[in-house]
Amino acid sequence: MEKIEERFAEPKRQAGIAILIILLKFLKQTIKSFWPIALSFFIGGKSDRFETVLGILVIIISVLNLGGSLLSYFRYYIQLEKGAIIIDKGVLRRSKTNVPFERIQSINFKQNLVHQFFGVVSVEIDTAGASKAELTIDAIDKKEAEALREYIMSVRSEILQEKAEPTAEEQKSDEQTILHLSVSDLIKIGVSQNHLRSMAILFGFALTILNDLNESFEGVVEEELSSKADLILNSQWLIFLFFVLAILVVSFVYSLITTTLGNYDLKLKLNNKGLKLIKGLLNREEISINKNKIQIVSWGDNPIRRMFNMWTLSLEQASSENADKLKSKIKVPGCYLEQVDEVLGVVFPKMTDYVFSKHKVSILLKYRLLFFVSVLPFLLSLVAFLWIEWLILWFIIWPIFTSIYIHIYFQKRSFEISEEVFKNNTGAFGTRFELTQLHKVQAIEITQSWYQRRKNLANIELTTASGELSVPFIPFEMAIALEKYILYRVETDQREWM
Amino acid sequence: MTDFFENLPIDIAQLPSAEENDYQQISPAYKKASLIAWGIFFFILLIGPPIIIFFIEEIKGEWLYYAASILTALVLWALNILWVSKAIKKKKYVLRQRDLIYTTGLLWQKKITIPFNRIQHAEVKQGPIERLYKLHNLNVFTAGGSSSDLSIPGLTEEKATKLKEFILNEIENEEDGKD
Repeated sequence: MEKIEERFAEPKRQAGIAILIILLKFLKQTIKSFWPIALSFFIGGKSDRFETVLGILVIIISVLNLGGSLLSYFRYYIQLEKGAIIIDKGVLRRSKTNVPFERIQSINFKQNLVHQFFGVVSVEIDTAGASKAELTIDAIDKKEAEALREYIMSVRSEILQEKAEPTAEEQKSDEQTILHLSVSDLIKIGVSQNHLRSMAILFGFALTILNDLNESFEGVVEEELSSKADLILNSQWLIFLFFVLAILVVSFVYSLITTTLGNYDLKLKLNNKGLKLIKGLLNREEISINKNKIQIVSWGDNPIRRMFNMWTLSLEQASSENADKLKSKIKVPGCYLEQVDEVLGVVFPKMTDYVFSKHKVSILLKYRLLFFVSVLPFLLSLVAFLWIEWLILWFIIWPIFTSIYIHIYFQKRSFEISEEVFKNNTGAFGTRFELTQLHKVQAIEITQSWYQRRKNLANIELTTASGELSVPFIPFEMAIALEKYILYRVETDQREWM
Repeated sequence: MTDFFENLPIDIAQLPSAEENDYQQISPAYKKASLIAWGIFFFILLIGPPIIIFFIEEIKGEWLYYAASILTALVLWALNILWVSKAIKKKKYVLRQRDLIYTTGLLWQKKITIPFNRIQHAEVKQGPIERLYKLHNLNVFTAGGSSSDLSIPGLTEEKATKLKEFILNEIENEEDGKD
C-alpha cells in the first residue's frame, strides 16, 4: 500500500459504501421526523385536502433532502496538506475546514452493523478549545482509517515533541490489554445498573410516543386512555401494582440488554500513546485517549454493585465545547478494584509514592443540610398538615430518610491532597472518588456565602478542561492555602496538560 | 497561618499572595451602565403587569391589583439600585506575574484565579449600553467548556486593551518557552 500521506495528497472522496451509509442515515432521519404523518396516512384512511397538501410537502422535502444527501457524498473531500487535515464539503453551503494536527485531541472510530459488514469505519476527529470544530467522516476503509490515524498522531507527536521533552516510557510500542470484561462480568454489571435511569428513559420514550400519536390522531389516544381511566380507578391497586411490576421488569431487562450489547467484549488497552477502549456488539466503538491528556479519573460504586465488588471507572479528557461529552470519555461500567488500581498506576505512574493528607469538611455543613433539607421542610409540612392530613406519612419518612442520607454523606465527604494529585471523596449510599493531577487545573474559584463569612468557611472549586472538582465548607485559610499551592504547581509546571 | 498541609514539599506561607491593596476597582461609570441596563428591565416590570391587568376582563377595574403590581416592582427596583451600588465595589481584579484574579459578589463572594498558561484566548467586547459610557468587557477563555471562562466588566478602553495585550503576550511567551 502506498503511503497514506500520498494517498490523501490530492482531495479524496470517502469510500463508495459511504453512499449507502448516508442513505441509511437519511432514511432514519426522515422516518424519525415524519413517521406520525406517514402513519396517519395509512391508518387515517379518509384524506382531506389539508392532509394531501401536507403529504405532498413531506414528499417534496424528502426528495430534496435525498438529493442533497446524495450530492453531499460527491461534494465531500478529505485531504492532507502541510501537517493539517482539510475537509472540503457542502453542496449549497460550502465549507472548507482546516485542522492542524497539533490541534487534534483524539481520533475515534465507530462502526454500526453496516460498517462492520463492509469493513469500513466512521471517523470522528475531536479538537479541543473554544473554537468549535469536530470533523466526522461517514465511511472510509478501516485499514485506511487506521493508517490515517497513525500518521496524523505520529506527525502530531513529532510537532509537539519539539515543544515538550519526550518521556522515556513513550519508547515501548507494544499494546497490552489491561482490562477485559467477560459475559459474566457484563451480566453482573447489567444487574447492578442504575435501573431508575432506564426507568426514566423508558418512561420518557413512552411519553414521546404517546405525545406523537396524540398529535397525529387528535383525541384518539386520549379517548382510549380516558376510557381506561375508569377501569384503572375501579381496580386501582391491582392495576397500579401490575404496572409498577411491569415497568420494573421491563427496565431491568432493558438495562441488562443495553449494558451487555453496548459493552460487549469491552477491552481497555494500553499502548505507547495512551489508552484505547473498544466495546460493543452491534455498534463497535473505539475511543483513544492520550495518557497526558486525561484530566479527571473517577471511580465509584452503588450499593448493588458493591455486592459484586465492582466499580465504575471513567477517564475524561479535554473536549471541545460542541463535542459530545461521551466521546471524550473512557467509561468502564464495571471492573474490580485491582483493575482500577492498575489503570491508576498507568495514568499516575508514581501513585504509590504520593503522601496524601486527608481533610474532612466542616461539621457545620452537616448541621446546615440537616436544618434546611430535613428539619425545615418537616416543620413547614407540619403547618401544611393542618390542611391536608393524609400526607402525614410522607412527613415522617422525609426527615428520617434525609437525615440518614446526610449523615452518611457527611461521613464520606472529604478531600485528599498530595504533592502531585488532588482527590475528592464523595457519595452517600454509593461512593465516588475523583482524581486529578494538580497541573491540570486551569482555574480556581473560592466562594463564600454570607453565612460562611461569619463562620470563616469557604467553598473551593478546581476547574479542569473536562469538568470541576469542588469541596464545600472548609476553613477559609485552608482554601487559601490550597489555592496558593495549586496555583504554584500550575504556574511552574511545564508538562503537557491538554 | 496554621499549616494545614504538612505533607506538601514546600512551605505554603512562602508563596506570594494577593494583598487587598493590589486589587484594582473597575470603572465607577459601570455603576451607571448597569443601573440603566437594570432600569430597562424594571421599567418593563413596572408597566407590563398593569397593561396585562387592563386586558383581563374580571379584574380590569380593580385598583388594588394595579397598586400591588406597581408597588412590588418599585420595591424590587429600589432594592436593585441599592444592590448594584454596593456590588460594584466588590468587583475587583488584579494582574499578577503569572495569573489573573477577579473577585465579585456582594452576598455570595467569589474569587476566580486563572493562570496565564491555562488561558486559550482573550478578547475585548462592548455592549450597546456600555458603549454610551465607553466601557469594555474583558473576556478570558480556557479550554473545554465554558465553566471556567472569566469576564471582567466595566473597563476603560485603554485598560481593557492593555490587559488583553498583556495576556495574549503572556500566552505567546508561554508557547515560545516550550520550544
